[in-house]
Amino acid sequence: MIELCIRDVSLFSTRHASAHDVIAGIEREATPPAYKLLVGRARRFTSLVTQLHMEVAGALTIEPERPPVTVFATTHGEIQTAENLIADFRDNRVVSSARFALSVHNTPSGLYSVATGNTAASTTLTGANAIAASWLEAALTVLDADRDVLLSIADEPIPAVFHGPSEPSGIGAAFLLAQDTGRAAQLAIVDEARAPIDAGTTLAQLAEAIRLDAAATVHLGQLSPTQALELRVAAR
Amino acid sequence: MTAHVITGAAIANCQGTTTDDVTAGAFAARDAFSASRAFEELPFTTLLGVLPTLPDDLDFPCAQTRLASVAFASVRQLRSAAARTVARWGSMRVAYVFASSTGGLEQSERAIAPSPLRPAPAVFSYADHLMDATSDSIAHNLGASGPRIAISTACSSSFKGLATAARLIDHGIADAVIVGSADSLCRTTIYGFHSLGLLAPTATEPFSTARNGITLGEGSAYVVLERATDATRADALAQVSGIGAASDAYHHTSPHPEGLGGQLAMREALARASLAASEIDFVSAHGTGTKLNDTAEALAASRVFEGAVPMTATKSLTGHTLGSAGLTSLVLALESIRRQVIPATRLTAPVDDALGISLVTRLTEARVRHVLVNAFGFGGSNASVVLSQVAP
Repeated sequence: MIELCIRDVSLFSTRHASAHDVIAGIEREATPPAYKLLVGRARRFTSLVTQLHMEVAGALTIEPERPPVTVFATTHGEIQTAENLIADFRDNRVVSSARFALSVHNTPSGLYSVATGNTAASTTLTGANAIAASWLEAALTVLDADRDVLLSIADEPIPAVFHGPSEPSGIGAAFLLAQDTGRAAQLAIVDEARAPIDAGTTLAQLAEAIRLDAAATVHLGQLSPTQALELRVAAR
Repeated sequence: MTAHVITGAAIANCQGTTTDDVTAGAFAARDAFSASRAFEELPFTTLLGVLPTLPDDLDFPCAQTRLASVAFASVRQLRSAAARTVARWGSMRVAYVFASSTGGLEQSERAIAPSPLRPAPAVFSYADHLMDATSDSIAHNLGASGPRIAISTACSSSFKGLATAARLIDHGIADAVIVGSADSLCRTTIYGFHSLGLLAPTATEPFSTARNGITLGEGSAYVVLERATDATRADALAQVSGIGAASDAYHHTSPHPEGLGGQLAMREALARASLAASEIDFVSAHGTGTKLNDTAEALAASRVFEGAVPMTATKSLTGHTLGSAGLTSLVLALESIRRQVIPATRLTAPVDDALGISLVTRLTEARVRHVLVNAFGFGGSNASVVLSQVAP
C-alpha cells in the first residue's frame, strides 16, 4: 500500500465535455485541444496525443518555483505520426524530418520540459497496461522525490491501417501528486485477475473520484496477469 | 537507498548473438557493420549493425517478429540467472521491466509497406506493434510473475527502465527485477535519421575529427537487478551504485549546447553513488558520432569531471541500438570491470582534440572499479548510471 496525495487533476476528451460525460456516454462534436502550453513553431507537426498531453498537463496548477518530476504515459504513443512516416517511405516520398523528430513516445515529455523550462527527470511509460504502470511509477517517484510529480496519461485514435482497437475519441488526464498535500489516497496492489479496463472510462472515473467528496476506488488495470492495481481515494 | 546488484547479464547485437561473442568482438574492436542491403535496399548509402543471425527457435508464444527475435537472443542466455533469482525470492517478487524506442514498429512497417526484403508478415496483429508486445511471453519464460512495466524514452529508455527497477526494489514492490531492452532495425528510424542528416554514410566515428553521424544498429541487453543481500553476494557481477536523470529543457532533438541535462544526470548519479568525480575510472559515453551530440557530451563531461577522465564510445563497435543503447554499454562496462580493461573507440580518423576529452582508442588495461555510463536521447532525456565493482 502506497500513501500519496493528489493536489490537482484535469481531463480533456475530444468527444466529451467533462469526465461525467465520458462515464455517461454523452458525446459532443469533435473538439480539438487548445494546448496553449505550446506556442509558435513548437505547435507545428504536433500530433493529437501530444496536444492532449499539453492540454491536460498545462491545465494543472503548478508552482513555477517547484517544477515537478514528470511521468507521461501512453499505450499507443505517436501512432498517427508513425502511420505518416511509413506512408512517406512506402510512397517514395521524402520522409518528414519534422515528423520523425516528433515520433518517439517521449515527444510530449520533451516538449513539456522545453515549454516549461523544467530540467527535472522525466519518463514515459507505455504498453497495454500504461495506466496502471504509470500510476505505480508516479507513486513510487513521489516517495523518492523532494518535489511534486506530474502524471499525464493520453492516447489518440489508432489509424485504421493498423487494424487496432477502434476508439473514436482522443482523451487525456493529468494528475499532480504529492507526499503530504492534497486529497489523500492509497495505491494498492491486489492479487487478482480482473476484466480489462477501458482507458477513457478509467481516466474519467479517476477525475470524478478526485473531484467529488465521497470515498471512491478506481480499478487501474493489471500490473501482471495476476496483480491488479487500484486507487482508493479517501472521503474529503 | 537500497543497494542493487546485477546478478545476471546478457547481450546480443551486430558483434554476435551471445554475450561471449559480443564481448570478444567488442574488446577486439572488430568491424561488425554491414552494408544496408543486409536489411533493406535504400536510396542512400549507410552502414547498419545487423544481428549476424536471428534466432528463429523462439520457444515462447509471442509472434515471430524481428523485435522478439532480437530480444530472445539475450533472453535465452539469461535463463539460469533468472532461475536462481526466482528461486531466491519467489516468482511473484520478481518484476519485469522492458525498454524500447521502436517496439514492434518493424512488424507494422512490413504489414503496411512491404518490400522485397521486408515482406508482409503472414499474420499481423496490432498487439505485435505495441512496445510491450513481447513482455508477457518473456516474463513468463523467465519465471517473473511480478509487475510488468514498459518504458519508452527514445535512446535513454533502458536506463529509465533501470531507474524504475531500482524504485520497485527500494519501495518493496519487488526484490528483483529483470530489466530488458531491445530495438530491432526498422525503416522508420533509418529514413528518419537520414532525413535529419544524422546518418553516417560510413562507420560512425564518435568524438573524431571525421565524425559525421550515427550508424544504426539493432540489439538487446538484459540484466537481473536484485536487492543486495548476503544471499545475492555470491552471484553479484557488479553493483549499480547510482542512477541520475534530468532533462535538457532546451530543444526536442538538439542537445543543450553545454549538455546541461547530461551534466545534471551525471552529477546526480555520482551523488547517489557517494562518489567524487575523480573516483570514476572511465566514462562510457553516449557518443553517437554526430557533431552536436558529441560536442555537447564532451563539454558536459569536462564540466563534471574537471579533468582528463578516460572516455570510450561503444557505439563505434555496436552501432546505435536506440532504446537498448544504455544497457548495451552497461553490459560492456560490466565486462570491463571483470577484465580490468577499457574498450577502445573504433576510429580511423584522429580524435577531435578541440573537444578536450581523453578518448580511449585502443584496448587499455586499467584499474576499473567505477564506470559512469551515459544514455541521452530525443526529448532532451538524459540518464547516467554508475556501475561499480562488487567489494570483495
